[in-house]
Amino acid sequence: MYVLRTAQPADLPQIEAIAAKSAIGITSLPPDRDRLLEKISNSRYSMSVDVDVPGEETYFFVLENVATGEIVGTSGIAASAGFHDRFYSYRNEIIVHASQELRVSNKIHALHLCHDLTGYSLLTSFYIDPALADGDLPQLLSRARLLFIAEHRQRFAEKLAAENPGVCDVDGNSPFWNAVGRRFFGMDYPQAEQLSGGRSKTFIAELMPQYPIYVPLLPDEAKLAIGQLHPDGELPFSILMDEGFEPDTYIDIFDGGPTVEARVDTLRSVRYQHRSRVDGHFASDGTEHVSIIANTKAEHFRALLGRVRVGVVGGAGIGLSPDVAEALGVGDGDIIRSVDLVPPTTGEMAW
Amino acid sequence: MVIVRPIRQDDLAPLLALVRGGVGVGLTTLPDNEALLQARITASLATFARKAVRADEQWMFVMADVATGRVVGVCAIAGAVGLREPWYSYRVGTVVNASRELGIFTQTPTLFLSNDHTGASELCSLFLHPEFRVGRNGALLSKSRLLFMAQFRQHFARKVIAELRGVSDADGRSPFWESLGRHFFSMDFAEADYLTGIGKKSFVAELMPKHPLYSSFLSAEAQAVIGETHELTRPARRLLEQEGFRYEGHVDIFDAGPALECNLDDIDAVKKSAVHRVVKLLTAGQAPAGADSVPTLVCGTGIEHFAVGLARVISAADGIALDAESAAALGVSIGDEVRTVPLRPADRH
Repeated sequence: MYVLRTAQPADLPQIEAIAAKSAIGITSLPPDRDRLLEKISNSRYSMSVDVDVPGEETYFFVLENVATGEIVGTSGIAASAGFHDRFYSYRNEIIVHASQELRVSNKIHALHLCHDLTGYSLLTSFYIDPALADGDLPQLLSRARLLFIAEHRQRFAEKLAAENPGVCDVDGNSPFWNAVGRRFFGMDYPQAEQLSGGRSKTFIAELMPQYPIYVPLLPDEAKLAIGQLHPDGELPFSILMDEGFEPDTYIDIFDGGPTVEARVDTLRSVRYQHRSRVDGHFASDGTEHVSIIANTKAEHFRALLGRVRVGVVGGAGIGLSPDVAEALGVGDGDIIRSVDLVPPTTGEMAW
Repeated sequence: MVIVRPIRQDDLAPLLALVRGGVGVGLTTLPDNEALLQARITASLATFARKAVRADEQWMFVMADVATGRVVGVCAIAGAVGLREPWYSYRVGTVVNASRELGIFTQTPTLFLSNDHTGASELCSLFLHPEFRVGRNGALLSKSRLLFMAQFRQHFARKVIAELRGVSDADGRSPFWESLGRHFFSMDFAEADYLTGIGKKSFVAELMPKHPLYSSFLSAEAQAVIGETHELTRPARRLLEQEGFRYEGHVDIFDAGPALECNLDDIDAVKKSAVHRVVKLLTAGQAPAGADSVPTLVCGTGIEHFAVGLARVISAADGIALDAESAAALGVSIGDEVRTVPLRPADRH
């Protein structure tokens, strides 16, 4: 059984190993022991405090094989993008240049440096062991965050965003960076990122060109990189797409990767999730739903893939098998949230 | 002998012939278009008749061969640009990205769309027939306007500009246009240039990017021609620079040719020109010699029958002596006042 839970200091060596393997694009998982430890500590602190409005909290989860203690994935949430500062993106814009007199109307694609996503909550740090990428665990890893957000709404913004890695070659050279950022920095992106020494991207962003970039003036390979996803990012991206995230408006200012965004309430796992009371009966009647199931705690948040039984005759809530209840740390009468692993694509709630 | 005089209605046909003789792409304000040239003549006639306001004033001149009456060149001054339609140019600027912490210091050249020259007077539409590009004709044609402005400075703005043709190849292909304008306006430079010439420049400009541009995004070829003058226009640029005109970082939005600028009162020919009374006419046999024989721009002081020529002048008691041929061509006689300035800045004192 695999359980998603909050990251603990004891997880550091395993997380460090994961960070070393993860793609260049996942900047929220830096291969740096001190920063990773800080990330775990921040998460633990964030989980432990009462929050009225989202601020500098970050939440960091690990996916553990309970039988072996092996950590096979990570995911996270930052409560407020660019907190204390700004969160930069390029916004895709269309500028219409028209002349009635000349009977010409041209749509010009331009990139506008903006702070629009500042204050959004950010989904971060997605990593899954490649051997497990084909199963259902990536769904748990990504979407359990949405159940966490649904339960702790006051901790998060009304809108979510997630950065996705843009295209680059094996050495980490990004055609978008080469055409844009590089002109202003005179260095490769990996080098610039390293130089910024783990400080927020804002630090680099402030050196970026402030005027809009006219896309027609960019070289073809840079144009093609706009909003283009790195193959390594396809899995988490596709999960977010299925949830209803919108990919077309914002891109990363460094590598041009798509930054997706959505209103929390519109996301599929939020719309179709249930908040239910655990009923001791796990009888054989009613119907079984393969679900992502999460408890409603913060510090002791746990989520897993399992079955819930609904519509049990005489039952007052939702049925869980004893091993699932135990793994979630819940008992009779506790509240859980769950969402079908495959929610309906349209229309009514399944139950 | 040739003189420069205000254009007349009967100059239309010769002007058309001159333009068709090969102005080529890039001399925007002289399109091969009879209606447009007629409109410019009409505007000029109204201007000289003092029936136009500054925003519409067009002072247009032709160079004519005195003996044959043949029109061999044309030039003009716009009283003020950009008061009827927006006047656009790019201002060449710099953006610095610096971080002491990261050891970064980069300078990026930029182009800012500007209307900075709004209201300036403009030297424009200079063209001299190739056969007549000899001797001092080019200098006479260009600088005649400076003498006119010196004599009638109340009609001109404090700042005077001249847009010079930018770099393009024999087919009229401008590297700057290819790298910039073409993306925003799917047409050739020649066509855009023509539209500009027939008074649609501001329409074309409306299709151009409004935000500042990083010139480093342009092709290397395009970056190299920003502020550069077309080969054939370099002599014209030198003439203006000798008079104090300078490239101050404004370029044409289509071909990136430089706009030269100078305050009217700082133009050398304006500063050093002076009004003298003609006290003597010199016959052919009395040609002046020595230090006094410098080629000199001379014009009458009235706006009616105005004409500028290059004359031989020597100073005399209470005035100057002028060669009789020039005096006749310029319509001045003994007792008249004329404004003069040596053609070459080096000869001025």
